[in-house]
Amino acid sequence: MTRERSIDDGEAGDDSDASGASENATRRGLLRAAAGATVAGAASTAGCLGVTTPADVAARSEVSGNVGHFVGPSWLADNREDTVVLDARDADRFREERVYRARRVPFDAITARESTEAGDAPDTDAIATAFGEIGVSPEDDVLVYGASVGSRVTRVAFALAAVGHEGEIRVLNGGLSAWNGRLGTGSRDGVSSTDYEPDPASSTWVTREWLADRVGTFNGDGPGLVDVRVPEAYLAAAGSDALNDDHDRHGHLPGAVDVHWVGNVAGRQMTDPGRLVRLYEVEAELDRGGTVVVYGDDNVDPTSTWLTLKAIGFEDVRLYDGGFGEWANVDSDRGRYPVETATNVVIETEGSVGGDDDGGDFSCTG
Amino acid sequence: MTADGHGSGAGTSADRVLAVPCEGDDLLALFALDTGARLGEVPVGSHPVHATTCRGRTVVATMGERAVTAVDPDGEVTRIETGVLGPSHFATANGELYVSCSAGDALAVIDPEGLTLVDRVAVGAEPHEIAVAPDGDRLYSGSRREGVVDVVDTERRERIGAIDAGPGVRVQGVALSPDGDRGYAVDQRGARVIAFDPGGDVGGDAASAEPVHTEAAVGADPYDLVATEDRVFVPGRGDGVVHELGRNLEPIAVHEGFSRPVELFEIAGDWWVLDAGAARLRSLDGAVVETPAPGLVATPVGGGRLAVSHYDDDRVSLVDVESGTVWTADTPAYPFGSVVV
Repeated sequence: MTRERSIDDGEAGDDSDASGASENATRRGLLRAAAGATVAGAASTAGCLGVTTPADVAARSEVSGNVGHFVGPSWLADNREDTVVLDARDADRFREERVYRARRVPFDAITARESTEAGDAPDTDAIATAFGEIGVSPEDDVLVYGASVGSRVTRVAFALAAVGHEGEIRVLNGGLSAWNGRLGTGSRDGVSSTDYEPDPASSTWVTREWLADRVGTFNGDGPGLVDVRVPEAYLAAAGSDALNDDHDRHGHLPGAVDVHWVGNVAGRQMTDPGRLVRLYEVEAELDRGGTVVVYGDDNVDPTSTWLTLKAIGFEDVRLYDGGFGEWANVDSDRGRYPVETATNVVIETEGSVGGDDDGGDFSCTG
Repeated sequence: MTADGHGSGAGTSADRVLAVPCEGDDLLALFALDTGARLGEVPVGSHPVHATTCRGRTVVATMGERAVTAVDPDGEVTRIETGVLGPSHFATANGELYVSCSAGDALAVIDPEGLTLVDRVAVGAEPHEIAVAPDGDRLYSGSRREGVVDVVDTERRERIGAIDAGPGVRVQGVALSPDGDRGYAVDQRGARVIAFDPGGDVGGDAASAEPVHTEAAVGADPYDLVATEDRVFVPGRGDGVVHELGRNLEPIAVHEGFSRPVELFEIAGDWWVLDAGAARLRSLDGAVVETPAPGLVATPVGGGRLAVSHYDDDRVSLVDVESGTVWTADTPAYPFGSVVV
């Protein structure tokens, strides 16, 4: 079952020879009038309204410049027929409204891990099976969207990369709200499953042992390492709600720099690319030509930074799929997997250090 | 802190060198011990705080690094990676050099001959001071964050248990009695000292044993302590007092009138208190020796003398408890825990 918005993707209308720009202007005029009439009847603010229309949102979500992976709604409109569209949201939201003929990703399946001697790694067989069940083939060009460009969306992109997806992987900037084209609703459309044969791209992730072998080198002579959690978790701020009660230890991997992943997102869109370059290259001092590893508590949030860094041109970005949850709770020989609780390299994004003020104090004079 | 004024660097020799880590300038400053003449300086890395000697080398803990720095007799400088930030205090056990990584949760174990990291022992987060049993088979590491004293088997390089000092405790100073039969730990946050059985059954989790023998309240903001055969001394920096306790922490005396007492030294049979808030050394018996500036850290050099680091004044002095200041010299910024070489 499908329905169409009153403002569709340009396939219908009584002004078919008008340019896209004039169509947008016409739509905005109608909506301004409608909104003004409504509000004028309820309050005395008529005539000074700042109305945001779907076309405005779509326009703001366009992506320009040298940015990879992220595309705006106009790109999707132009390439809709050649692109498999994946919805990363939950089932309820998917049923309520979605991009027409989008397929919902079974999210739990694409976060699956397998335990190896080297530590947790993406379970590429399970992930590939999940994509196959929604009819994705390795060579398909894919666009992923969600409510915004948050970490569920980027996890889907990572999962595709991890199974060696051959087609292009793109993300809709602005999420569903930026899409002013045709929408679907209700139960999912039937698709034929595929036999998705994974070609695991192990260079997209690292394991616990890979990291343990390099302890002491991160953000120095070795790879870059970014902790994407809130500063309170990174610094193990005593009493903070950000500390995961399930963890035996708190803090961060030695040498990691903290850049909270929400700094990648501005509302429903990716943060201005220029700001992102400053954030990661200037403030965090990461080397775009070197290897950079990202991690969080789990294997979802850090994929935001994984995709963001790739989008702004970092050449070799990898995810620690086991995450701090694995590192902090390793069973034996914890001297090989140390954590640090103090540092001076928190890059401020949206977060701030809360709880007690213990974090960062490791002087010999206090 | 030491109770032995004639310990490290005992005796006098005209060619002995006082090596002073200067935290603010990342240098190890060198002075002739007998004259105070400046002999030079060695770049050693970020935030050097303590130094020790081992197998003929001077090793410096650089808290701003994930490494310590060793200086060979021939002047070669070697960086030894610890992998974890904040090396701060040294201890030697079983022929190996242990250093607490105070910004992490590990002790780095260094081969002092090969100058390599041979292991890391996981301990409670933010380990700081370390004490070693007289026979070297066990090592005790205080955790500033987790309120425990971790017990390490130095033969196996393995944490074998922990003494739980209580909830919310910030363990600062750790010491053993000279016979090794009694251990002590300072709870900085709770202004108390605990006594524990260092030879007790500490296997398993910290909560599985009850080795804490007793405890006593001390002055506010305690940091360090001294344990002798029959006494425990704990300066309370916030109250300007020094608590003198018995072996089982029974109260003996509270010595008042200090400004910010930080360390005690036994010199020629008297206990002398270094005061970070006053330009003097004062004995527990009331004798006073003026110093050029308040001292934060001092090193006994033998002969009734202390090398005093005036942290806030960028100076170092050689002070004789009988005759007063022998010499004083300017240093790079923030001189800290020196060693006589």
